[in-house]
Amino acid sequence: MSSTRAAQQAGQQVAAMDTVGHDVPRIDAYERVTGRATYTRDVRLPGMLYARVLRSPHPHARIRSIDVSRAEALPGVRAVVTHETHQLIYSSGSIAGGQQYNDAAKDMTEHVRYMFDNPVRFVGQPVAAVAAVDRYVAEDALQLIEVDYQELPFVLDPEEALEPGAPPIWPEGNLALDRDNQPRPSSRTSGDPAAGFAAADQVFEDRYTTAFVQDGQMEPRSALAQWDGDKVTIYTPTQGISNCRHDNARDLGLDDHQVQIICKYMGGGFGDKNGSYYFDLIAAVLAKEAGVPVLLELTRKDDWLGTHGRWHTVQNLRVGVAQDGTVTAIGLEGYSGMGPYLRRSGGIAGIEAYACPNVERVIYPVHTNRMVSGNFRAPSDPQGYFAIQSMMDDIAYKVDMDPVDFALKNVIRPTDEVRFTNYSLDECIMRGRELFDWESRWRPVPGSDPGPIKRGAGMAFMAFRSGVGPSSAIVRVDADERYTLFVGVTDIGPGAKTTMAIIAAEELGVPLSQVDVVWGDTDLCPYSVGESGSRTTTMTGYAVVQAAIDLKRQIAERGMPRGVDVLIASATPNPSTEGQRRMVFGAHFVEVEADVQLGHVRITKYVAVHESGRILNPRPAKDQIRGAALQGLGQALHEDLLYDARSGHPLTAGYYGARHLTYLDAPEIEVTFIETDDGYGPYGAKTVGEAGIILGPAAVANAIFNTIGHRMKELPITRARILEALA
Amino acid sequence: MKAFVNQKARTLDEAVSLAQDAIRAGQSVSFAGGGTDLLQLMKDRVVNRPGSAEPDVLVHLKTVAGLDQVMAGGGNDTVVGGMITLSALSRHPLIRNQFTVLAEAADTVATPQIRNTGTLAGNVVQRPWCWYYRNGFPCFKAGGSQCFSVTGENQLHAIFGGGPSYIVHPSDLAPALVALDATFRIVGPEGERIVSGSDFFVLPREDAEHENVLADDEVLASVTLPTPRDGVRSAYQKIMDREAWTHALVSAAVVLEMDGDRCREASIVLGGVAPVPWRVPEAENMLAGQRVTPELAREVGAAAVAGARPLSKNAYKVTLTRGVVERTVLRLAASA
Amino acid sequence: MGKKRTDLKDGVSRRAFPIPRSEDTLYEDEGGDRDLTRRGFLGGAGAALVVAGAPKLGSSEHSSAGAVEQEAPAVPQTAIRITVNGTEHQVNVEDRWTLNEFLRDHIGLTGSKIGCNRGECGACTVLVDGEPMFSCSTLAVWADGRDIQTVEGLESDGTVSPLQQAFMDYNAPQCGFCTSGQLMTATALLVDNPRPTSDEVRSAMVGNLCRCSNYNAIVEAVLAAAGTPGSGGAP
Repeated sequence: MSSTRAAQQAGQQVAAMDTVGHDVPRIDAYERVTGRATYTRDVRLPGMLYARVLRSPHPHARIRSIDVSRAEALPGVRAVVTHETHQLIYSSGSIAGGQQYNDAAKDMTEHVRYMFDNPVRFVGQPVAAVAAVDRYVAEDALQLIEVDYQELPFVLDPEEALEPGAPPIWPEGNLALDRDNQPRPSSRTSGDPAAGFAAADQVFEDRYTTAFVQDGQMEPRSALAQWDGDKVTIYTPTQGISNCRHDNARDLGLDDHQVQIICKYMGGGFGDKNGSYYFDLIAAVLAKEAGVPVLLELTRKDDWLGTHGRWHTVQNLRVGVAQDGTVTAIGLEGYSGMGPYLRRSGGIAGIEAYACPNVERVIYPVHTNRMVSGNFRAPSDPQGYFAIQSMMDDIAYKVDMDPVDFALKNVIRPTDEVRFTNYSLDECIMRGRELFDWESRWRPVPGSDPGPIKRGAGMAFMAFRSGVGPSSAIVRVDADERYTLFVGVTDIGPGAKTTMAIIAAEELGVPLSQVDVVWGDTDLCPYSVGESGSRTTTMTGYAVVQAAIDLKRQIAERGMPRGVDVLIASATPNPSTEGQRRMVFGAHFVEVEADVQLGHVRITKYVAVHESGRILNPRPAKDQIRGAALQGLGQALHEDLLYDARSGHPLTAGYYGARHLTYLDAPEIEVTFIETDDGYGPYGAKTVGEAGIILGPAAVANAIFNTIGHRMKELPITRARILEALA
Repeated sequence: MKAFVNQKARTLDEAVSLAQDAIRAGQSVSFAGGGTDLLQLMKDRVVNRPGSAEPDVLVHLKTVAGLDQVMAGGGNDTVVGGMITLSALSRHPLIRNQFTVLAEAADTVATPQIRNTGTLAGNVVQRPWCWYYRNGFPCFKAGGSQCFSVTGENQLHAIFGGGPSYIVHPSDLAPALVALDATFRIVGPEGERIVSGSDFFVLPREDAEHENVLADDEVLASVTLPTPRDGVRSAYQKIMDREAWTHALVSAAVVLEMDGDRCREASIVLGGVAPVPWRVPEAENMLAGQRVTPELAREVGAAAVAGARPLSKNAYKVTLTRGVVERTVLRLAASA
Repeated sequence: MGKKRTDLKDGVSRRAFPIPRSEDTLYEDEGGDRDLTRRGFLGGAGAALVVAGAPKLGSSEHSSAGAVEQEAPAVPQTAIRITVNGTEHQVNVEDRWTLNEFLRDHIGLTGSKIGCNRGECGACTVLVDGEPMFSCSTLAVWADGRDIQTVEGLESDGTVSPLQQAFMDYNAPQCGFCTSGQLMTATALLVDNPRPTSDEVRSAMVGNLCRCSNYNAIVEAVLAAAGTPGSGGAP
């Protein structure tokens, strides 16, 4: 395997390898198609109890008293816990500055979230929990818990929450605390925006909004906890068993080695279960009280309201443009609705895909009494890209330029200051334009088709982080030349186990059939950074490569093991890209057909071009992009969480309420990968899965503009909104 | 769910008397067909029957023999049993050919899994899908005394006939049945009664809590469809805010009696826009005796919404209704 | 009537953790046909609670007594006969158990999943007399006399079905949680329509959501199993 640097080069064709780059069926496909895969609720332990959580019906309230005596007296109830019985901090639930991997931040966070809080700050927040002999008794017991709430004023809208006189959710008000526990927005300035605006020939201003989108993974969350002396085992769907263990240990007052996290199969992740969740704690506490294992199951509505979703935003954009279409300055004032607890950053991405050096960004992560916002596949990106790329698309028309030409004029490119491990953004755009046949599909005059059935086209492009970082792997070989790979992955869908095995097989130079994978159990597996933030392939995969290299060295030195002996190699590399940005690049081109009389939109062509380094397993990689693009489409056209303003109660929780895409809503997505090897990661592999969702809303919105001649500035772009815009 | 007893009825009379027994014993009772929606209401503890979110007794009607058939009625009419599944209804050759609007309506309901067990009666009498009602707000439909949509989120609510409750009728079969002039046979303790479509469904101003005239111990046993005259054709057009598996934003059940390229008579009944299936006689009358041109279809669409009274957030439904009526009338008139 | 005690293990998939419960108690005693339906004990509205003390048949998580008394159970039950993946079960079920609950919790077939328990997602789809249904949205008692097929019943003699094989070859499961339901709907489709078009596949399967949104791959898998390769998806 050669790792030639391909810096500043685009589209370097990569050489085929032995195992890497060939379609490989998932190594656990058999389990998944035969019903044998054990997800958390499929696990049964002797004497197991069932638990349910009582949740706040108020958006903001103080609990004056809580009486669980009737619940405790119900036959079959074995344990009841409340904020009065247990005051555990839920440390990953509220973090200064939203830094999820930062232990120090979790220790110094002033706005603390507890397993059960008083006051409660959103409809759906846990108040109490019951463990009982079966679900029916547990549910009945919830009905018997008497809570005396003193309702408090509440606020749902992020802009309203910052106005003077808004009901304060925290003593400091409703602007979330930054990493220094200060209520300050996130402010970043680069270059000289004032000069940039002054130099502009035209300055445009506009406002865009995006909706809250629940992750909606198919497996409703649960946690099954079992104690053995002072050690607890928690089966829980988590993308990061190591982080989950660490967080739960902290909150339970234990050392890491006293907590075992097991997740063999997880029914969807999409971000933000890379760590603990409060229901892990509740299950553990109930199990301790009851002295037997406890399975806490969230109903779909519990999960919808009681976990998280992508933060909704309001974005005020200002863009200065020169006569020739060069963007001279960009200003963003953004508001991110985070719910009452800052779990994640609230960032808004997208501007960094442009070359413009003069940028002023001020982002306010705001507390509201809506459900908590958290990470969902490219957490800061679809929201941000929708706004900035709609804005730029709009400007392109106003300065009489083809949007693709405008994009190529303004995309970020390598400079002396801005260096990439490799760069291919322009090639992605040009390839997409060609594959999509932009010239025939794009209307120079938006909305110009005669109608009522009209067509049009739009596009968007991206540059998304694919960083390198630390992770661990262990590889072992025995006398039968069977290799066992130990990695702390769970495999939330992209096929991580298979990918890791492919990498191991390639580096070891053995057939895939000789490689076994041990995964999903902190007692058996080494540290893994977790499957989120596009880390698994690049970081854990790289650790696999290094471990395999070390094993080969040991074999060379000592020979293959004999008898019952084994050789073991472990690696925890922490590579760096030496100041270079490591990105994946992409462009999506969308053709839309709209029926303007009925407000109906359908996608008639969708081309996605991605450069994601070397593709380790082609088929799943393509399906990752296809699936992610469809999630982006759902966000563009349908998904939201509507609240009743007077009661603070959510109205559309659930798959029906959110109108998730069905088969009949899903167009074909044509995926093309441009393969390269920049010399980093395992064989030059970069993230695939996360990036596919980023451009859907932007590309679709731009296509809709070209089709109907109206700029839709709010997500989701529903039928009702289209009809109102055209009325 | 709380514990309840499932009663298997072998005849309709037994079903009714089991219900009566329960009521007399102070229990709350629900009839169950496919039960797909009933179970969700029970799981969510949504008040379905007056004063009770959770029935003590379910009377299962699928065990009643012969309640799921399509049969010839008296005088050439067709009788469709209330327990016929939506799948069977949409596949039935007689329904497809003679009562196309009904087959098409059945086809649009939910998903195949639900249609395989959901019944005609269950679909016609299903409770509203207003998000306030379904989220447990104490509204008219739950026996309370207000409607939360009026000054709240009313994007999906009524543009006709609303007040004091503004729900829209959730059934797809209902507008089709009304457009076909179906009559509804109700069986209860007093025997049976036959009721017209306009009498079966009730406006909130008459009864804010119920959508139809069924009492707790009454069953919708069957519907009778008068044989269509020569030249009759029909269609159901349903507009949803995703491609499937959604209640109608707006739907139109259209029945045209054509004589060559002239329309003798028309039935246009709307779904998704009013608390009952909403007939639009002004629009229907415009078609009588006319050749259906694109201009006329446009006028018919406009006439259909002439009396619309949108709320604060559902004016788009007026536009949609106008468009759906225009398109469906034109398409149907032009179809061979 | 020849009611027999059937071996629960027949037709039950291997699973990682055995369900240790007194499964024997699900079955009728030989020689007795008791009407176990109970009426009216719950009184009026508000008496929604389980009566104190009496052990519940089939929920053995807390049962300490070895032999469970066959006295008046607290919760209404009914004796049903139901065939699952070719094996007949004669069991007492609580009237309120959904079919899904019966399959997962009482005969150990955990392949059918709960995604929402509200008939909004399709993850729980099983075949009832060959037709796809949401097992969360129907009661076990209503399945009396019926023939149920779950994902565990798709293989024969340890060999997966051609459709299961196609799912593996075409990467149809991403997270895998919707997969069981997808397979059941697709199995019924291919019996009904052995050579469906892509549109027919989508319409037939519209009741199975996939949040990973792997729709296109699943359609390709189904078309491949049907022998008609789909667009853009040849292996």
